[in-house]
Amino acid sequence: MSSEAAEGNRLIIAVPNKGRMRDPTVKVLDGAGIRPLEGERVYFTKTTDPGVDLISVRAADIPVYVYYGIADLGVTGRDIVAETGLEVYELADLGFGRCDLVVAVRKDSGISDPAEIPHGSKVATEFPKVTTDYFNELGTQVETITLRGAVEIAPTLGLANAIVDISSTGTTLERNSLVAIGVVMSSSARLICNKISYKTKYDKIEALTERLKGLRS
Amino acid sequence: MKKYLFVEERFREVLKRWGYREVRTSTMDYFDIIRGGAGEGFTDSIFKVQDSDGRLLSLRGEVTTQIARMLASKAKDEGRLCYIANCIRYIEAKNLSLREYWQAGAELIGGERVASDAEAVALALEMLDSAGIPASVDLGSMSAIRELMDHFRIKDYRRVVKAISMKSVDELKKLTCDRHAIRAFSLLMSKRGKAEVVKMVSEEAGCLEGEWRYFRDLYCALDAYGYASRANVDLSTMRELEYYNGVVFELFLGGIGLPIGGGGRYDIMMEQFGLDSPATGFALSVDLCVRALSKSDNNGVGDDRVLRVFYEEGYMEKAVGLVRRLRSTGRACTLDKYKGEQAGLRVGERVVWIETGDEYEL
Repeated sequence: MSSEAAEGNRLIIAVPNKGRMRDPTVKVLDGAGIRPLEGERVYFTKTTDPGVDLISVRAADIPVYVYYGIADLGVTGRDIVAETGLEVYELADLGFGRCDLVVAVRKDSGISDPAEIPHGSKVATEFPKVTTDYFNELGTQVETITLRGAVEIAPTLGLANAIVDISSTGTTLERNSLVAIGVVMSSSARLICNKISYKTKYDKIEALTERLKGLRS
Repeated sequence: MKKYLFVEERFREVLKRWGYREVRTSTMDYFDIIRGGAGEGFTDSIFKVQDSDGRLLSLRGEVTTQIARMLASKAKDEGRLCYIANCIRYIEAKNLSLREYWQAGAELIGGERVASDAEAVALALEMLDSAGIPASVDLGSMSAIRELMDHFRIKDYRRVVKAISMKSVDELKKLTCDRHAIRAFSLLMSKRGKAEVVKMVSEEAGCLEGEWRYFRDLYCALDAYGYASRANVDLSTMRELEYYNGVVFELFLGGIGLPIGGGGRYDIMMEQFGLDSPATGFALSVDLCVRALSKSDNNGVGDDRVLRVFYEEGYMEKAVGLVRRLRSTGRACTLDKYKGEQAGLRVGERVVWIETGDEYEL
């Protein structure tokens, strides 16, 4: 495989190598007749569709691989695409992996709306760009603290006054005495596309997009 | 460096043949002037420094605004100008070299709309062809997007541009609930083809008749240049700079993940600088063209091997005569005193190839 693989006529799709998005992604591609020929530990594999190859990488890195044209297409969360800020096309909402990126505070904080979060507050998150953009738009200056996980414990430990984190059921927040007071964005899995690949492989990409959209409806 | 020079030379040859005069613009400008032309979004990303009197200066981030300003301040209505220049701006990348990049561009001031836009697109493609880069072009239209927004009474231009540039129906749905508008914009974002794409969107939306006629005529003109088959309409084609108000276009090549150039019509910026002249133009990324050459192993870059000529004691003048003759025929050569080198041409009583011992015919 060459760098900027998206050369030639083959389609390369970047899929999550693990995590909550992996299995539904494999399933939806399977529905479109694209099954990997090798196991999930392999980062590059041919598929049952002779015109399509898969690369398995971290979900958070998928927009990067697509933006630079290493992969033509990718499947990853809308929240992740927004966090990278990279310009890629979002061709389809694949419907799975639904979650909200929420602002949450301690239940006993007395705050019930993100606009009430005072200037200078510390906000812990795995999504610093989305968080900063959100509070800038709100007109509140906050200090964004980037964590790599377990964000929900930051308020209890005194690291932050609020968090911006993924919540699909709300149980993790509840367990940590937090309450969601606003939704920053709603997310689900997206089929993303490199802007140049879209032009150079339009027919194949459009046909695959329609196939995947068809599976959803 | 060899490939940079090759690309730039080829570009200059073509630009000259098309009657464009090369200009050099300043590295620094007053920031407020550039901001007026290029718009807030772009000017956020350019480097600023303070002058001794406190005024804010900016480093050159792109050249079109500078040329428009130059024409305005000199009240000239010169038709065709071009440049090859380095530009500098903040780009969030770990690769520092990306902060400085080379652009080759052309600006066509005045002229009839369709003919000028076709000339700009054709010239860009011919420049790339001349360097052995077989690019294609996608055409969009900022005026079509504005017209659709007005038609459906959608106000937030920036968010519409963001939604379209991501082909994101979700983002669009945040801006309007009008199903007719969503259908029209969805069609605009998903269809790609020849001028008929504009007709399709026009019929769905119930406006854009003028845009459809424009694109039909543009295709006739591009066909005359022989480039219609390499041009497609994708109305979600966008340019980052805010000064475009008509057609916009992006040039691309398979295997290079980013557009290698782009441009469009920017009459409104000319008006802002007090010039009542329509204008169209484009810029190509010299860096990406060089990258395209590296990937294609293009061997048209030329032979720049330098012949090493050595003189023995007492034969320097004879050797100077020889290198002068070689250089006059275009052959690159150096001249040094012989100190036992193993390759090159050795000038003594006889002139011999050091490697083979063969005599060189004078």
